[in-house]
Order: sequence, then C-alpha cells, then structure tokens
Amino acid sequence: MSLPVSAATHVLVVEDDPHLAAGVMENLRAEGYEVTSAGDGRQALAWLTEHACTLIVLDVMLPGVDGFALCRTLREQGNSTPVLFLTARGDPADRVRGLEAGGDDYLAKPFHLQEFLLRVRAIVRRWEWYRSASATAATAVLRFGGNEVDFRAFRARAWNGESQELTEKEAMILKVLAEHAGQIVSREDLLERVWGYDVFPSTRTVDNFILRLRKRFEKDPANPRHFLTVWGVGYRFLSEGEA
Amino acid sequence: MKVTRVFQLTTLALVLVSAVQVGWWLLDQHAYTVEKVSAARAAYVAQTAAAQALLDSGSSAQRVQQLLPGIRISAGRAALAPELARSLTTEERRRANQYAWEGGFFLLALALCIAMIARALRAERQVYEEQDSFLALVSHQFKTPLASLQLSLETLALRSPPPPVARTLIDRMLADIARMELMVTQILESARLERGRVDFKSEPLQLAGAVARVVAQLEERSRAERIEFVSDIGPELHIASDALALDVVVRNVLENALAAVRSAGGGSIALSARAANDEVELSVRDSGVGFQPADGARLFEKFTRLHGAGHYGTGLGLFIVHRMMQLGQGRVRAHSEGVGRGACFVLTWPAAQVPRS
Repeated sequence: MSLPVSAATHVLVVEDDPHLAAGVMENLRAEGYEVTSAGDGRQALAWLTEHACTLIVLDVMLPGVDGFALCRTLREQGNSTPVLFLTARGDPADRVRGLEAGGDDYLAKPFHLQEFLLRVRAIVRRWEWYRSASATAATAVLRFGGNEVDFRAFRARAWNGESQELTEKEAMILKVLAEHAGQIVSREDLLERVWGYDVFPSTRTVDNFILRLRKRFEKDPANPRHFLTVWGVGYRFLSEGEA
Repeated sequence: MKVTRVFQLTTLALVLVSAVQVGWWLLDQHAYTVEKVSAARAAYVAQTAAAQALLDSGSSAQRVQQLLPGIRISAGRAALAPELARSLTTEERRRANQYAWEGGFFLLALALCIAMIARALRAERQVYEEQDSFLALVSHQFKTPLASLQLSLETLALRSPPPPVARTLIDRMLADIARMELMVTQILESARLERGRVDFKSEPLQLAGAVARVVAQLEERSRAERIEFVSDIGPELHIASDALALDVVVRNVLENALAAVRSAGGGSIALSARAANDEVELSVRDSGVGFQPADGARLFEKFTRLHGAGHYGTGLGLFIVHRMMQLGQGRVRAHSEGVGRGACFVLTWPAAQVPRS
C-alpha cells in the first residue's frame, strides 16, 4: 500500500486485548515493521530494559501498571522512545494527560486502520529524520553563543556552564531551527515537524517551548539574540547572535 | 433539571422558610408576652402609688378600695393584691410554656421534613454518580471489542487477504460479537439484580442435572482449548433454588473457571458436590491462573478483572453470581493459594427435601 519502511524499524505493541493486539501487529508487519508484543506494563518494561525499539504503541487501560504510568516511568528512566497511546477514553482531558505523561500521539478506540498506520508512519519519520539529522559528528553537536547542545544525548551545556537535560521535543525544535538557521520557520511548520499535524490544539504550545529554550540558552531571555520572534509569522534562529 | 428535582428543591426551600417563620413567630410572641406583662405590672405599680397618694391625702381606706379594687390596704399602706401578682406571673409562665411546646413541635416536624428531603436528595445524587461511573465503565468495556471488530473489517477491506487469513479475521470478528452479546446479557442481568427486580422461586432442583446441562453447552468450546471437565455429583443431591438462577450462576462460575484455565494454557475443571447440615455444597476447582489470596474479597465486586492479559471478561460475571446467590438464600466463596495455583469456588444452597419415588 505504501513505501516500505527502513529495515530496522521495530515497534513494541503493549495491549492486553489479544484480538486487538493481533490485529495491530499483523497490520504493522504487513507494512514492513518488525513487531513485538507485551500483554501488560510489567512485561513491556522488562522487554525495554534489554531491547530498544523505534516506537511503542501503548494501550492506556492495562492490568497492573496503566499506560500513562508506564510512559512516565520510561521518561524518568531517560528512555525517549516515542509513544503512541491507544485508549478507549477519547475526551480532551485524557488526551492532555497522555501528552503530559510524555506521549507523542494519541488515538481513541475504535480507530481507523489507515489513520493508525499514518500516525505510526508520521512518528517513525519524525524520529528517523531527527536521528539521521544528528548522525554525523558535525550535526550531532550544535554550538551557539557559548552554548553547546548534544542532540544524541539530549544534553547541553549552557553559556553559564550549567548542564541541561533537554526533552525530546525541545531537542527536535532546536534541530529544526538550527537546520534553517537564519531563515524564518513558521509555528505551523514547527508543529508539523515536531508533533505531527493535529496532536496539539494550538500553536501556543510552540511559543511555550521557545520560551523554555530562551530560558535555557539566552543570556537575557527577555531580549533574545538567538531565538528571535518574527511577529505574526514564527521564529528565526541565529547561531551567531543578533548584533 | 428534572421535575422531581425541582419539586424536591422547592419543598426544601418552603420547609426552610417555614422553619425560619416559626422561629421568628416564637421570638415575637415571647417578646409580646413579656412586654404585655411588664406593662400590666407598671399599671399596677401606678395604681398602688395612686392608692397610697389617696390614703396620704386623707381618703378613707374603704373609698380607695372601691375606686381601685386590685389594691389591698392594711395599716394605712397600699399594696397590690397578692392573688393578682400571682396570676400575672402564672399567666406569663403559661404563655411561655405554650409557645415552647407549640413552637418546639412545629420546629421538630419541620426538622424531620428537612432531614427526609436532604436524605432523598443525597440518595438521588449517589444514584446519579453510580450511573455515571457505570456508564463510563460499560462504554469502555464495549470500545475494545468494537475497536477489534473495526480493525478486522478494515484489514479485510484494505488488504484483501487470502482465504485462510480472512477466515481467521472472520472468526475473530464472530468472537468479538459473541463477547459483546455476553456483555449485554450480563449488564442487563446485573442491572436487574441491582434494582432487586427479580422473582426467585424456590423449588427442588436436581443439582447434577442442572450442572450437566451447562457443562454440555461449554464442552465443545473447552475441548478445542484443551480444557477438561471432570464432574462427580451424586444424583440424589437436590437444592432449593430457582431453575433460571441456578443456570446463570453455574454458567458464570464455569465461564470464569474456563477463562482462568485458558489463561494458564489449558488444564482441568473438577466439579464435586456434597450434602452438609441441610445444605448442599458445589465445589468448582480449576487448574487455572488463580489469584492472590488477598484478592478473594474483591473478586465478587463489580468490574473486578483479575485475569488481566488475554481475558475477555466484563468484570460482571462473578458479581452476578454473588448477588444471585445472596437473593436466593445461598452463598458463594472463592479460594486460591496464589497466582498460578488454581482456584476453588464453593456454592452453597439450602438442601431440598425430595420425597423418594
């Protein structure tokens, strides 16, 4: 149906319903993904301590540890594997909870197969882009205004010597901006490159992330020299800093 | 807002206003009485002073007595007649007592009304909350088989798989539909049980026959899943129960045992029965996944699902068993030595006296 995905793309499906798990796995396999399944949170955590994967498809209502808690645990352990939540509760409050727990996307049951596959593909693509964009020694590290960002380790040393842990979203935004240094990047472009199309309701989210990046890396966050706002359009990143 | 709720709230407001009104009326009446009594006292004091003034100005005691009958004169001193002074005090007390009793009675009646309405309102809110959480849980329970159905159908549509794969998908969909059907039955049954809207007969029933009928229906499926039923129930054991309830109870307990054994990858379910102290006990022992002994109490609560991964339960089956046994003068208890060590469910009914034929 679509282009085959790269060979090493491995998806972990954490779902306690055997029919749903089987259906999801068969379809992912048909798309060329390698798939492993786990019936509950404990199994998933055990598998993840020894293996790595490109994406976790995670049911929220699991016996024992629920999906949100599992995702939070992973993030606390420093595991930044993207998570796509599947849940029977599709209300906005629940969506927000999922994203707060560190999820990348959220799909309410019952879902459309094609939409599910598209979303999986979108997340995998975003991460493949991020990984390949940070693959060489030259692209893995960004230096600007006395700051040094290591995209592979999600770590940075700020101009004042403070060491910083970046979230995957912060790192991705920085990566997109750095790739287009000197050019204007719109909020919509940032949303789509980093989150996918319709996960967050507004572009305000992007603004909040830019504020966080300024706090981390600008000498005077109120008068930014690297992360500049282009009113009504978006943002421009300058690695040299504005004179 | 519902009409009944408007009615309840309006009544509550009326009763509250009445209570305030009665309270105010009491205080007002009391103040009025006090005022009247003290005015009467002041008048008598004035009369006494006037009588004294007349006496002092030389009027005869007899004349003064005629003019002011409430005054007693002795040794040239005027004073209020003692019976009048007494009657004033008595009247004041009588009125105070009357108000206290009448007002107290009214206030008590109103307080009772308020308490009753408040209780009704609280009970109603609780019902609404329970209904809400029930609906949330039920819709969640339905979404999983629905999602599975949709996924299978869309897979068929998207990929046009070869017949054997299509067959698997179709079987999966049929199982999902059966699952939803079971859920609907169980939800209706538990709703009926909860409202107490069930009519249990108590008739003598042969336990062995009733159990055998349920086992026969489940055996075809259980054989395919490598689960064996072993049944040893004496034909002489008769219980007093409702035929339909017995069928539902046995079916739910056996379905639960099947799920536990299935999760353990196959095994056996042993049924045995014995009579003891005018009661008959049916034991259902399975070699399934079992449960933590501490979970034994939670087992019969609504929406408890201990089997977790791979089990299709609604979380209502054992709740239905528990309620039905309760309503039918029976008991059910469950025991397991731990996860992975099987479980035993014991159902107890009153024994029925059957004339030998």
